[in-house]
Amino acid sequence: MGKSTSMDTSLKNVYITYGALVTPLGNTVDKNFSALKEGKSGIKKYTNSGFTNENWPLAKIEQISENRFDTLLRTSFIELNQKVSIATLTSSDTLVIVSTTKANIDVFPNDTFESGVTILKNELGIVNEPIIVSNACISGVVAINLAADYIRADKFKDVIVIGIDVVSDFVIHGFQSLYAISEEAAKPFDKERTGITLGEGVAIVILSSEKRNSAFHVKYLNGSSSNDANHISGPSRTGEGLVRSIQKTLERSHINKDQIDFISAHGTGTIYNDEMESIAFDRLELNTKSFNSLKGYFGHTLGAAGVIETIVCLLSMEHNLVFKSLGYTTLGTSKSLNLATDTSQTQVNTVLKTASGFGGGNASLILIKD
Amino acid sequence: MKVVATCSLFPEEIVLNGKKIESIPSNEVDWKKWVYSSLNIEYPKFHKMDSLAKLAFLGISVLEKEIDFSTYKDEEVGLIFANKYSSYYSDNKHFINYTQKNMVSPSDFVYTLPNILTGEIAIFKKWYGDNVFFILKKFDIEFFIEQAEFMFSKSIKACLCGWIESNENSEQAYLFLIENKEGIVLKDEILEELIIDKIN
Repeated sequence: MGKSTSMDTSLKNVYITYGALVTPLGNTVDKNFSALKEGKSGIKKYTNSGFTNENWPLAKIEQISENRFDTLLRTSFIELNQKVSIATLTSSDTLVIVSTTKANIDVFPNDTFESGVTILKNELGIVNEPIIVSNACISGVVAINLAADYIRADKFKDVIVIGIDVVSDFVIHGFQSLYAISEEAAKPFDKERTGITLGEGVAIVILSSEKRNSAFHVKYLNGSSSNDANHISGPSRTGEGLVRSIQKTLERSHINKDQIDFISAHGTGTIYNDEMESIAFDRLELNTKSFNSLKGYFGHTLGAAGVIETIVCLLSMEHNLVFKSLGYTTLGTSKSLNLATDTSQTQVNTVLKTASGFGGGNASLILIKD
Repeated sequence: MKVVATCSLFPEEIVLNGKKIESIPSNEVDWKKWVYSSLNIEYPKFHKMDSLAKLAFLGISVLEKEIDFSTYKDEEVGLIFANKYSSYYSDNKHFINYTQKNMVSPSDFVYTLPNILTGEIAIFKKWYGDNVFFILKKFDIEFFIEQAEFMFSKSIKACLCGWIESNENSEQAYLFLIENKEGIVLKDEILEELIIDKIN
């Protein structure tokens, strides 16, 4: 970490590749890709999963029965170790950034962040102290933006971003208290949407200063975050924070909004969030762009969401394929949106990924084919 | 890069730029409320906040004695906050609610994320700048400076940095403002001003 920061770095190339993906749809990127193409959802109803024994739909990884957080993290190492060399993982030029909201919340009131860090050091062999970003539902996008900052400042050659969160009573009971959980699988942007479906997973992307030997390359352009400055738990009625974040990201990326081919939105499935997003995209005249939410496949995985969805963006770019917005049939927002109702081939060269969350946070990033 | 002001808040005292500006009466039941009253500000939302957000709000209000934030545009101030125990105080409240009291409370749950405090600051100041919350093993001045450098390489002109902790054992807030101006960051001086050895 001793190297000095160069100030004019916004044009320096940052390459982004995927390392691993473990979700209810599969424990590798390829398995998730197959399931997405088939339009499979990882959401199922779970008996007595609610605070007063409701049967909430959840996107849970059924193979994990106990010690969910640690087991999930370890599972992701299998694919990561196949894709990334031990030399890179254990290099002092490699940094790990973890994106999580509640980490190993099942051990609360004990330290919920400790076990993950120990596992990363002892079992993955990383040498630098990992950095933990905990910024609610925008954590994943914020963590990827930060990873690029470290690369552009020449502080590290590779930054591994790990987004992870598990389904827990703590979180289910909390969202239930807000009347925010949907009785059926979440239907982002749909007229019939009634709330979110909680999910779990781990996703790993790697940002690098050089093209590694990955067959396909995507460059990270830039990103930003912006608060709504409006309310801590309710989305802004004007979409102000999201509008500002996207504007900043476009400016910092030195590209025009017309160049965006596809938007991977946040789309939780709550009435207010999805409405807010539609207003923001409409204000920016981005509402005719091809567009989806992936919460109908993975549920809302909180700190993992931004990273999982960025991996799916990479798949969309690699295969020129926009995945349908699962759960959506009829427009349910006041402003029109061009939601993908079928999974179809289309040129995907430039992608805008957005996220919004509790605390009024909004974040975005732009990826472009190399 | 230049640190323009620092402040520390403990249940015993408030320190601004290394000088004690208030001693908090030791018999005070709610020391944060006492500080709020001593600042002569009217912000009813304060009373609804959890302790982490209250500490952040008080910290920025103390800094305002030295800093005129109106000189910055609404997207020019970045927020860099961190602590070790995340939202422990509110996590524990929510945890006790559903494990012992057989109830759940939306007003307790919404504070079970540490970045809510940056949201409260943004609402209070109407700020739209970049913001981030980290969980770190310990306070690290180098880390905050590194994050400020990243923000200054974009469109941010000043970074409000803060280490704020609220758990069973301690309540404390350390805030400082770094500006992207000619100057040298005197790390030891800052650590001394913040009385950093009190951090646990």
